[in-house]
Amino acid sequence: MSAPLVRVRDLEVRFVTRDATVHAVNGVSFDLAERESLCILGESGSGKSVTLRALMGLNPPRRTKLSGTVVVGGHDIVAASERRMADIRGSTVSMIFQEPMTALDPVFTIGRQIAETVIRHEGLSRASADARALELLELVQIPSAKRRLDAYPHELSGGLRQRAMIAIALSCRPKLLLADEPTTALDATVQIQILLLLRRLQQEMGMGVIFVTHDLGVAGEIADRVAVMYAGRFIEEGPVRGLMRGPLHPYAQGLLGATVHSGMRGERLTTIPGAPPNLERVPKGCAFAPRCAQVEEACLPAVPEFRSPVPGHAARCVRVRHAA
Amino acid sequence: MTDQTSLLSLPDVGGPAQPLLTVRGLTKHFPLKTGFLGRGAGVVRAVDELDFEVMKGETLGIVGESGCGKSTTSRLIMALMAPTSGEVVFDGRQVGSREMPLKEYRRQVQMVFQDSYASLNPRLTIEESIAFAPQVHGLSRGDSRARARDLLAAVGLNPDQFARRYPHELSGGQRQRINIARALALRPRLVLLDEPVSALDKSVEAQVLNLLQDLKGQFGLTYVFISHDLNVVQYMSDRVLVMYLGRVAEVGPVEAIYASAAHPYTAALLASRPSMDPDLRRTEPPLVGDPPNPINPPPGCRFHTRCGFAEPVCSTTVPVLHPAPAGQQAACLMVVPGSGHSRAPGSVARGIAA
Repeated sequence: MSAPLVRVRDLEVRFVTRDATVHAVNGVSFDLAERESLCILGESGSGKSVTLRALMGLNPPRRTKLSGTVVVGGHDIVAASERRMADIRGSTVSMIFQEPMTALDPVFTIGRQIAETVIRHEGLSRASADARALELLELVQIPSAKRRLDAYPHELSGGLRQRAMIAIALSCRPKLLLADEPTTALDATVQIQILLLLRRLQQEMGMGVIFVTHDLGVAGEIADRVAVMYAGRFIEEGPVRGLMRGPLHPYAQGLLGATVHSGMRGERLTTIPGAPPNLERVPKGCAFAPRCAQVEEACLPAVPEFRSPVPGHAARCVRVRHAA
Repeated sequence: MTDQTSLLSLPDVGGPAQPLLTVRGLTKHFPLKTGFLGRGAGVVRAVDELDFEVMKGETLGIVGESGCGKSTTSRLIMALMAPTSGEVVFDGRQVGSREMPLKEYRRQVQMVFQDSYASLNPRLTIEESIAFAPQVHGLSRGDSRARARDLLAAVGLNPDQFARRYPHELSGGQRQRINIARALALRPRLVLLDEPVSALDKSVEAQVLNLLQDLKGQFGLTYVFISHDLNVVQYMSDRVLVMYLGRVAEVGPVEAIYASAAHPYTAALLASRPSMDPDLRRTEPPLVGDPPNPINPPPGCRFHTRCGFAEPVCSTTVPVLHPAPAGQQAACLMVVPGSGHSRAPGSVARGIAA
């Protein structure tokens, strides 16, 4: 078996300011195989975006303390210099963001921004880079692509801007695509178009994809595997079917129960009482214990280890039983 | 709950059969000032000829994509901006007339906004924010504060713990509870909820939705619930209004709309919801492209440029709301007999095809 595309071990990220230290990620470990898509689900402040940025070395360098192992496509991201990272970004790993308007440069045309990336990484001539830009716009199904090459970001609609950003991210055929809530800002009828586009491109180009989202529907549409994050840790990980139908961790169960879907009219929604912990201190024991209805003595002394009742599906909860 | 002497909840006027809110021909055009000396630049047709009613005690859900006019509609109902034409009638009395002056109207209708932080004054404590409007309307300082504390308890926040805090000391979910409490401080009869849970995490969203349902019963409220989340609208609403580019596409009971949508846009919107079940993944997007720009909406039916059933007649005839089989009303030529669309009831082409 070949090495995984992504290997993360004991990733810890802390943000240090004069006033406080925020423990954003507290020991995340996972592998991603080639062509696999993983969805990291979590609420705001759970550390999902910080984890994603760590895979590309995008957290602010001065204030960030990072430890652990992050290897993407054979490159050690933690040890890489800024110059080396600039080579890795784009060709090995690239990222798309929630807000295309802030991710695109407003003073250059779409075509120019794509061509610039290709010239920088693959050393193409201007003419062949322009040709590649056109190809890419057609790949992401932008109508009348030739005309849109000369468009500035503000001239495009939200859906087209998001497609243009995907085109830039894919311009150097990365092995890994990171997506931070790429469809959250889009309208319903546009969101599904972008999700289907990403799913098709992933299959055609054979990329690994890591999606960060708070939307269970997005995970259901696109993920092979799902990881649920809480207070900077993965608390459950498993195949999308198993996790959606039978979540193991009480937090994952609460999250699924609290999500409104059709056929719930008249029912009272189940809620999770309280709020996530303040991450200025790393919680001892299970971070969810203060909000958990099934809390017991064993939850408190140490962070529960992953327990796996079925192969490939595991949760950090003392009530989950290991497979016999 | 202690009851104050003045500012009681307002009496019903027209009886249960009279709609609480009636909107007739409501239109809002925003002029564009880009032409030479600001002339001849055209208008954004944000809301065009809107007609609907909100019955007493119901929740009317309004759904649609960005630019469809949902938020403009809510601001027009609140009289936060003047309409280009059309009128809003509250319990039989025209808003802004001598019978229903704006100050009186705003006691009866209150609003909760999406951005919980921007809609609270950062220099006022929670208690002061909630007590502000009752004081303006003549309640004594002490009574207003007492009412604020009662409302804090009603929205699930301990008054002793929260009354003296400032907005920045609270989480998003807590702030949205404050906004709801403030909206209820004048004992309104109608509450406009403009994307009240869109900025909240899922577990907090569920708490706020439960709270809204509880308060509706407790205070005898009527809701207009605006959201882009179709699942949340289905959960909250009795009737649903679907908007597209400033017009009503379809309106009717929630069951009819969700089980058998009559307008192709509604059907596409419903089919665009991502599925939580990986075995039911979509394979084809129901619609291609983005919604057109409301500056230059397509002629005829505004949806015809994206509609799979569009025929030449759709680009020339503006469809009006017409009863559809499941009990709702749809603005689509396919439900209007004799409209000239081949799928219209009783049309010749349909007869031959069948």
